[in-house]
Amino acid sequence: MMSETYTCGDHGALVSYLYDECTPGERRAIAAHLVICGACTGELIALGATREQLASWMPPDAQLGFRISPENSKSNVLRPARWWRQPMPAWAQAAAAIVIFATGTMLGALRGVMQPADGQGPATGRSNTTAAATTSSAAPITRADLVALEQRLRSEVSQTRATSQNVSASPADVRILERVRVMIDESEQRQRRELALRSAELVRDFDAQRNVDLARIERTLGQMDGTTGVEVAQQRQMLNYLMRVSQRGQ
Amino acid sequence: MNLTDDELVARSIGGDAESFNELIMRWERPIYALAYRVIGREEDARDVCQDTFLRAFRALPGFKGEAKFSSWLYRIALNLCRDWIRRQRRAPVVQMPEGIEPTELAAERGPVESIEELVGRRQLSAVVEEAMSVLPEEQRTAIILKEYHGMTFQEIADMQGCPLSTVKTRLYQGLTVLRRHLEKNGVALNKVEEVASSKVAGHITPRLVKR
Repeated sequence: MMSETYTCGDHGALVSYLYDECTPGERRAIAAHLVICGACTGELIALGATREQLASWMPPDAQLGFRISPENSKSNVLRPARWWRQPMPAWAQAAAAIVIFATGTMLGALRGVMQPADGQGPATGRSNTTAAATTSSAAPITRADLVALEQRLRSEVSQTRATSQNVSASPADVRILERVRVMIDESEQRQRRELALRSAELVRDFDAQRNVDLARIERTLGQMDGTTGVEVAQQRQMLNYLMRVSQRGQ
Repeated sequence: MNLTDDELVARSIGGDAESFNELIMRWERPIYALAYRVIGREEDARDVCQDTFLRAFRALPGFKGEAKFSSWLYRIALNLCRDWIRRQRRAPVVQMPEGIEPTELAAERGPVESIEELVGRRQLSAVVEEAMSVLPEEQRTAIILKEYHGMTFQEIADMQGCPLSTVKTRLYQGLTVLRRHLEKNGVALNKVEEVASSKVAGHITPRLVKR
């Protein structure tokens, strides 16, 4: 129990004051000391500020919802405890690593032993392909090989053609094909009609525009003619005037 | 009908599993939060939380009601946390850090909180978590029980099995270490400077520093 007098530097009492877990008498004693002691006041304020920062630490939101199942009282909580989440000792981890490594090495060695004598059964598919490619690129290709290859290809192509010709379509397929053909024809006719219509509209628009342009050109030419006529008349008047003036002078 | 913990405990002892489920619903969040703050791992905290209720259910017939049911639960949870820490010390396993997902951030953001404020809060939370992790277990537990679970000094002393004065010392030392750690990590304890600079004699009361 803390006494009702406060000794400077009594951290326990300061903590009691900080958490407001002291008697009124103790609180009064500490408050009276804080008035005169800057060090204790600073200490108290610093502790309080630290407490405020602690409020920011929130645990992550977790899905809990545990329930006791009355049917099975031996393992009551529905969510089973996960033994594999328990930390594994270092020696156990090392042992597991050694076992895995040894097993891998043994398997690798066994595969090497089981490899065929012709050397065409390497360990992985990737090296198999590489080896095959290497083998084929190294072997000499003769003319006879090429001829045989050509003949084989020709026979395969001809077989494929014969097969496709021999395929007989069922009546349903014929009907479908017929319908498709009719639909294609109708579509083509529609497109042709549409094209003719569009062409006629285009020609009509073109003619109308040409007529408008011609009319505009004629009008412009007429205006130019008029202007030219006026200018000729003015020049003629000027010429007459000059001639009259020159005759008077004589 | 809202039954008290004691009533639910009595019913549970009588074989009513639903009453115990009601107790789980009431206390699983605080127990999970306690476990998470003590051991710092979400998944393990969940496991500890589950084990706490499992043990409590099995030990329920022996619960005499001398302490509060919540105190009894906390004690079980703390013991499990201690076991977990002991196992960790014996066989330390490198744990992957649990990162921050942007989607979590978006979901967590409050309606009036900007994303910058939220990121700041998460960063501060991470710094506080890190600072707490450097404390000795006894100090950390004392601070957690006091700050986040509102226990009295006496309750913490009972829980930790130590004298009242030890609890106060642990709290003082823990808070002091935390303050230094936070300041070292650039967390500005603004209020210290503000309040200290504007300190007027006689104006310092517990209310200023109490949350």
